[in-house]
Amino acid sequence: MSADPQSAIGNRPSEILSAHALTKRFPGVVALSGVAFDLRAGEIHALCGENGAGKSTLIKLLAGIHPHGSYEGELRVEGRPVAFQSIRDAEAAGIAVITQEFALIDELSVAENIFLGRAPRRGWRVDWLEMHRRAAALLADFGLSIPPEVPVRTLGIGQKQLIEIVRAMDKHSRVLVLDEPTAALTGQEVVVLLDHLRRLRAQGTACIYISHKLDEVFALADRITVLRDGASIVTLDRASATVGAVIKHMVGREITDLFPKRWSALSPTRFQDERTPSSQRLEDKPLHLEPLLAVHALNVARAHGEPPFLRDLSFEVRPGEVLGFGGLMGAGRTELLMHLFGAWGRRTGGTVLVRGAAYDDASPRTSITRGLVLATEDRRRYGLVLPQSIGFNLSLSSLAQFTRPPARLDQPAEHRRNQQLFDALRIKAPDQDARAGGLSGGNQQKVVLGKALMTEPAVVMLDEPTRGIDVGAKLEVYELVNQLTRDGRAVILVSSELPELMGMSDRIIMLSHGRIGGEFTRGEFSPEKLLAAAMGRREAA
Amino acid sequence: MKARVSFQNLAMPLALIGIGAFFALQEPAFLGSRNLTQLIVEFSIIGTLALGMFMILLTGQIDLSVGSGVGLVGGIAAVLVFQQGWPAPAALLAAFAAAVILWTLMGTLVVRQRIPSFIITLGGLLIFKGLFWLVIQNSTIPVSRGDQDNLYSLLTTYYLPGSIGRALAVGIIAALGVLAWRSRAARRAHGLPVRPAGRESARWVALVVGVIGLVEVCNQFRGVPLTLLILAATAGAVYFLTRHTPFGRYLYAIGGNEEAAALSGIPVNRVLIGAYLLMGIAVALTGFMTTAYSGSSTTTVGDLMELDAIAACVIGGTALRGGRGSVGGVIFGALIMTALLNGMTLLAVSPEIKFIARGGVLTLAVWMDVKLRK
Repeated sequence: MSADPQSAIGNRPSEILSAHALTKRFPGVVALSGVAFDLRAGEIHALCGENGAGKSTLIKLLAGIHPHGSYEGELRVEGRPVAFQSIRDAEAAGIAVITQEFALIDELSVAENIFLGRAPRRGWRVDWLEMHRRAAALLADFGLSIPPEVPVRTLGIGQKQLIEIVRAMDKHSRVLVLDEPTAALTGQEVVVLLDHLRRLRAQGTACIYISHKLDEVFALADRITVLRDGASIVTLDRASATVGAVIKHMVGREITDLFPKRWSALSPTRFQDERTPSSQRLEDKPLHLEPLLAVHALNVARAHGEPPFLRDLSFEVRPGEVLGFGGLMGAGRTELLMHLFGAWGRRTGGTVLVRGAAYDDASPRTSITRGLVLATEDRRRYGLVLPQSIGFNLSLSSLAQFTRPPARLDQPAEHRRNQQLFDALRIKAPDQDARAGGLSGGNQQKVVLGKALMTEPAVVMLDEPTRGIDVGAKLEVYELVNQLTRDGRAVILVSSELPELMGMSDRIIMLSHGRIGGEFTRGEFSPEKLLAAAMGRREAA
Repeated sequence: MKARVSFQNLAMPLALIGIGAFFALQEPAFLGSRNLTQLIVEFSIIGTLALGMFMILLTGQIDLSVGSGVGLVGGIAAVLVFQQGWPAPAALLAAFAAAVILWTLMGTLVVRQRIPSFIITLGGLLIFKGLFWLVIQNSTIPVSRGDQDNLYSLLTTYYLPGSIGRALAVGIIAALGVLAWRSRAARRAHGLPVRPAGRESARWVALVVGVIGLVEVCNQFRGVPLTLLILAATAGAVYFLTRHTPFGRYLYAIGGNEEAAALSGIPVNRVLIGAYLLMGIAVALTGFMTTAYSGSSTTTVGDLMELDAIAACVIGGTALRGGRGSVGGVIFGALIMTALLNGMTLLAVSPEIKFIARGGVLTLAVWMDVKLRK
């Protein structure tokens, strides 16, 4: 491949894939701004960055999911500019992307999956013998002892991952892109996968490796590129890099003044701590306020009979307090909120007290009557009835307030209450009869928040309340959170953005693999400490 | 979106006028008061069933078992009256209770076992058909003994005397007027927008002309059929339920986004079972009327009525995927379906062609539903 004279012009001959000044905009958000990146033949190049740094967007550009023309800048394969219109184009150029959601069909056999869409034929018939022979040979090449006839559904996640890689290699892919390949793997499976990747590297395959787990990155990668806020910050040689340096680059941003100064039930006391005698302090401590939500030694499994996914979680939230939850993708933050709300998982141990009363058989309906409400992360899927109006959605959880005996809805009263929230939240739409599905992300988020607020909750759980919304709308959400705490409500905030978490929370708990990785109060916040707790550094565990 | 809906609003009356004109040209008796009265009875039967189906479709579910159910419930009542000698009211009540229990059970199965309603009710279609034939022993069971009128047989043979029909029409218009006036005043008091006076008056002129005209047409034959009152009461009840109660909101919310509805604290399971329970009531009413209309319970009563009911809903703008539709649309859809079936019977169209026409209309309606989705 390096014999091509063109590739020598302006490029190192070994450069197989490169990105130049890539910029990708979504409505209201710049996902990538001027990213530069290059991949050499036979290297493993790790991409690191916080959630939302732009890694996934970059991959989607490389994979042809965001077609040429929807972004600015240039992609080159072996020095020549390429214009992928589809995944097919990217595959033809030798780029295979393996995402966290497998593209395998569970009911088909291993061989059928490997040769999906390009089964060997004899005339118009599938040549099953040939397919199984070739599949067996490929699997043997990889040192895998999986019979090619078994259905994929019988395999473990690690084996499925390897089948994906086998399939990609049989398509003669020269570039393998792996997005969080070890997120769901056990320790042994990780070792096997890393061995395979090293072997592929030795054979000349280039690999882009995305992982939150820095120990894996350092065990595997030749070079490391850090993305932050959609920009490529730095590319380091593994040999000369340190874990600390990478973390620093990942978080190294100024925490801006985006976060409004907030009143807090805790801050006056903390202020007093320094000068009031300790005898009075007990009286003044906000701890005399009963916690609105108290969780003790909580264990939750995904389903009956499975090992617990959330393990040994204990925490409390008091009136006027914002408790932040951070952690990496898959750490269990959303699951925790959904479980407390009564919409996820099976409790295998522990207690939950809401306003001092045990709360065991949770369901969304009882949660709302108990004063516990959740504004969901996935607005379009879980939050809104998109075809219906803004007003319909705002009052959906609170219709009991407007029901007159025997069962009549007092629609004028409902309409008036909707209008109050519509105005207070400054939802940008002609009126409350506009369809919720037609609103921008920020305004949809306001409707979701409005729906939660109308239930008059004591504890408000916000799951990524500012995801995908613009800065102006973010500020409004932050002000709303402050308003809630001023009213004596408790807020649980889940966020992937460390600055937001640090700016808004009184306390932060970092989750790591379903456990508490660390708990911090306001004075102790630092991005490095939080991130280290979130990664639950394998060596330490 | 808006333009499409208004096109649809216009399309339905136009289609109805077109169908009426076609049959009237082919056979002038189509618009005769005798046939129109008959058409109204048939319309009441399909309309009542369609209103029950409407609430099921709103949630995104479906019920294929209602046709056999109609036969079964009518058959149970007929057997109790004719063979067991029960008084008609008791027989009707017993059959009514059976329908409510069966549909509640079916709704519970759909909800608790998470089996798709398509499958459960397809099973219901066959099971009820078999039960029906068992109940009537594959024979013909009259709805009354020795040609004596009873409540059952009178369901479709009783007509309100002319003056009572008129009085009722005036009463209904007055009641609706008061309700509308009060809601208008309440909306004003809350500072909410109301319809412009001109359009509001036009609606009322249309309503008054429509109701009085309907009564006068019926009075030219034998008066307003009792079945029309049953349909009107059902339509009023379903309208109130869907527009003015939390239950109705929940139907739309579940059909629009079931997961979001559940996370909004809506008791999804209870609402779905409630919708099936109400479907059971509609099936019972329809079963009584249609069996009485044919004079006796025979093996073919209720055949394919589930498809007529679904077609009526979909023609009337109810989305098969749930979350969209209105009572007014369903009533219009039922009228169109009835006009088609009645007209074809009047023209003595062969059963083969009738099947094809029914299927064609259903397919066309679903195709339009899909187009509207986009």
